[in-house]
Amino acid sequence: MNLAAHAPILAIAVPLLGGFALPLWGKIHPSLRNLWLALVASLTAALTGFVAVQVLTTGVQVYTLGASSPGETLSPGGFPIRIVLTVDALSAFMGAIATLLAVVAFTYAWRYLEEEEGKTLALTLGTLLWAGMLGMAFTGDLFNLFVFFEVTSIAACGLIGYRTWTSRGPEAAFKTMVMYTVGGLFVLLAIALLYGEYGALNLAYLARLIQGTTVDRIALGLLLGGFLMKVGAVPLHMWAPDAYGEAPAQAVILLVANTQTSLYALFRILFTLYGGVADPAIGWLVVGLGMLTLVVAALMAVVQMDLGRLVAFGAVSQIGYMLLGVGVGLTVISSQPAFGLVAIQGGIFHMLNDAVAIGLLFLAVGAVEKATGNRDLGNLGGLGHDLGWTTGFFLVGSLALAGIPPLNGFASKLMIYESSFALSPILAALAILASILLLAVFVRAFQGAFLGPRLASPKPVPTAMLVAMGVLALGVLALGLFPELVVRHLVEPAAKALWEGREAYLRAVLGG
Amino acid sequence: MIGNTPFVVCMILVALGLWALLSRRNLIKIVIGIKIIENGVNLFLVATGYVQDGIVPIYTYAPPDATMVLPTPQALTLTSIVIGLATTALMLAFAVVIHRHKKTLDGRKVTELSG
Amino acid sequence: MTLLTGEGYWSPLLWLAAAAGVVLLSLLIWSRGRKGYNRATEQDLPFLSGEKREGVHVGGGHLYWGFVEGLRPYVERLRLVHSGFVGDYVAWLVVMLAVVFLIVLLGG
Repeated sequence: MNLAAHAPILAIAVPLLGGFALPLWGKIHPSLRNLWLALVASLTAALTGFVAVQVLTTGVQVYTLGASSPGETLSPGGFPIRIVLTVDALSAFMGAIATLLAVVAFTYAWRYLEEEEGKTLALTLGTLLWAGMLGMAFTGDLFNLFVFFEVTSIAACGLIGYRTWTSRGPEAAFKTMVMYTVGGLFVLLAIALLYGEYGALNLAYLARLIQGTTVDRIALGLLLGGFLMKVGAVPLHMWAPDAYGEAPAQAVILLVANTQTSLYALFRILFTLYGGVADPAIGWLVVGLGMLTLVVAALMAVVQMDLGRLVAFGAVSQIGYMLLGVGVGLTVISSQPAFGLVAIQGGIFHMLNDAVAIGLLFLAVGAVEKATGNRDLGNLGGLGHDLGWTTGFFLVGSLALAGIPPLNGFASKLMIYESSFALSPILAALAILASILLLAVFVRAFQGAFLGPRLASPKPVPTAMLVAMGVLALGVLALGLFPELVVRHLVEPAAKALWEGREAYLRAVLGG
Repeated sequence: MIGNTPFVVCMILVALGLWALLSRRNLIKIVIGIKIIENGVNLFLVATGYVQDGIVPIYTYAPPDATMVLPTPQALTLTSIVIGLATTALMLAFAVVIHRHKKTLDGRKVTELSG
Repeated sequence: MTLLTGEGYWSPLLWLAAAAGVVLLSLLIWSRGRKGYNRATEQDLPFLSGEKREGVHVGGGHLYWGFVEGLRPYVERLRLVHSGFVGDYVAWLVVMLAVVFLIVLLGG
C-alpha cells in the first residue's frame, strides 16, 4: 500500500480516532493520555505538513474514498459519485494554520487545564475540533463540508460551555450553538437545492455545471448566510465575543482557527464553486461587510472592561480585514487580475498573521486569568512586575494586531490598505481608522493590566504555557521580518489557487 | 402529479421554525424551533430524491428495469438526522445547566453576556 | 527581501535600519538634556491633579477617558444592539439573509 497517497485522509482520520481513544487512556493514567496525545498530534502535524509539501511541489492532490486507487475520482460513467478529498494550495495553507494553532493549544493546555476540571474531555474535544477543521479544509465535496462544519460546531460549543460550574460559559455555548445550528441548516438547505438541480455534490463537478440560474443564486445566498455567520461578520458576530470571552484559553485559539476555516470555506464557495459566474455585486457585499465588521467591532472593543471580551472584539475586527482584502479581490479580479491577486494575497496573508497574533493575545489573557483569577480591567494592574514574559507577549501580540511595523500585522495590512485604496480611498481610510482604534484599545488594556504599581501578587505562569506563547511570539517576529519569503512560498500559491488555479482544481477531479 | 407541493410544504416548515425562533423567549422552545427548521430541511432533502412512480432503491428486490427513487438524498438525510440529534442534545444539555444556575429559562433574562 | 504590495513595497529590514537611525538620534538629543534627575527621590512620584500620592494606578477604565467619552454616544447605540438575547441574534441572521438575497438575486 502506498501510504503517501493516503496522507490526506489519514490527516483527518488520525486526530478523529485518536481523539476518541484519549478518554480510554485517561482511565488508565493521565500520563499515558498525554503521551498518546503527543503521538497523535505529532503524527497529524507530520501528515498535514507532508500533504502541504506534496501540494506545493506537485500540484493539487485528490483522494477518492472507497475507490480501488486514490486517484480514481470518476466512476465508469464519468461521474464523480464517490466522496473526494481535494487539497490545493489554499487548503494546505488552511490546514497548516489549523495545525499550528492546535499544536500550540495542546502545549498550552498541558499545564493550563486542571485534572479535576475534566482535562481529558477538553483535550478530546480539542482533537475532534482539529479533525473537523482539517476535514473542512481538505474536503472536495459539499455535503462533507456540511458534516465537518457540524463536527467543528459541536466540538467548539462543547469547549465553550466546558466550564459548566460557571454560569457564563453555558450561556455563551447555548447562544453559539443556536447560531451555528441555524447557520448550518441554511448551508444544508443550499446543498439540497444544488443537489436537486444538478444531482451532484462534488464541488468541482458542480462548479463546472453552475450556470447562475435563480436556484443557484438562492443557494449562494443561503451558503453566504450560513458561512458569514460562522465567520462572525457583523451583524452576525454577536456569538463571537461571548464564545471567545468565555471559552478556556486553549479552546479560544482553536475557535479562532475554526473561524478562519469557515472563512476558507466561504472563499472556496465564492471563488471555486461560483467563480464561473463571479459577480462584482457579491464582491461589494463582502467588502461592505468587511468594513462594517472592522469599524463596529473596533468601536465595541473600546468600551469593554473585561480583558477577554475586549480581545474578542479585536479578533472579530480582524476578520473584517480578511473579508475586505478578499472582497476587493473578488470585485476586481475579472477585470484586473494582477491587482485582484495582490488584494487576495493581502487577505490570505492576514489570515496567518491574525491567527498567530490574536492567538498570542488570547493565550496571554488566559495566563493573566490563571495567575490572578481575574480579568476585569478595573481591578487589574501592575502585572508587569511579576509576569514579565506574559507582559512582553501581550505587548508583542497587541502591537502586531494594531499593525505596528515591523511586526507581522503591518505587512498584510499594508497590502490590504493599498488594494482597497485603489478601489476606493474611503475604504482604506476607514480600515486605517479601525487600526488606530484597535491600537488605542490595546494600549488601554496593556496599561490597565500590566503597568502601574503592584496591586496583587499573581501566581507564576507555568513554563509550558510560556513556551506555547513563545512559539507564537516568535511566529509574529519571523512573519514580520521576513514577510516576502512567506508570501512567495505560501501565500501566493494559496491566492493563485482561488482564481488562476480554479481550472487546475476542476481538472484534478474531473480530468480533461 | 404533486408538482412542487412537497417543496412548498418544506419551506413553510422552515419559515414556521424561524418564526418560533424569533417570537419565543423560552430556551427549550427555541430548541424546538430549530428542530422544526431541521425537519423542514430534512424533508426537503428527501423530496429532492423523489422520482415519479419510483420504488425503494434496493437492487436485489427490484424488478428489472424498474424506476427507483434516488438513494443519495436518503443517505444524506440519515446523516443530517444524526447530526441533528447531537446538536439538539447539546443545546438541551446547556439549557439544563443554564436553568440550574439561573433558575430561569427565559432567554431575555439569560443575558449576562451583553454589550 | 522586499514585499511588493501592488503600488509600493515594504522592506522590514530597511525599516529597522531607519528605526535604528531614529533611535540613535533621539539618544543623542536625550544625552544633551538636564542632568538633575535623581532616582528614588521626590522626583520619581507621579503628579496627578495637584495631589502627590504614592502607588497611584491609572486603571484600564480611566485611560483615554476623553477619547472613550467622545465615542460613547455611538458605542452606546451599538451596545443596545448586543442585547445578549439569542432570539435577537437569529433576527440579525434573518435580516442579513434578506440583504444577501436582495444583492444575489438582483445584483447581476
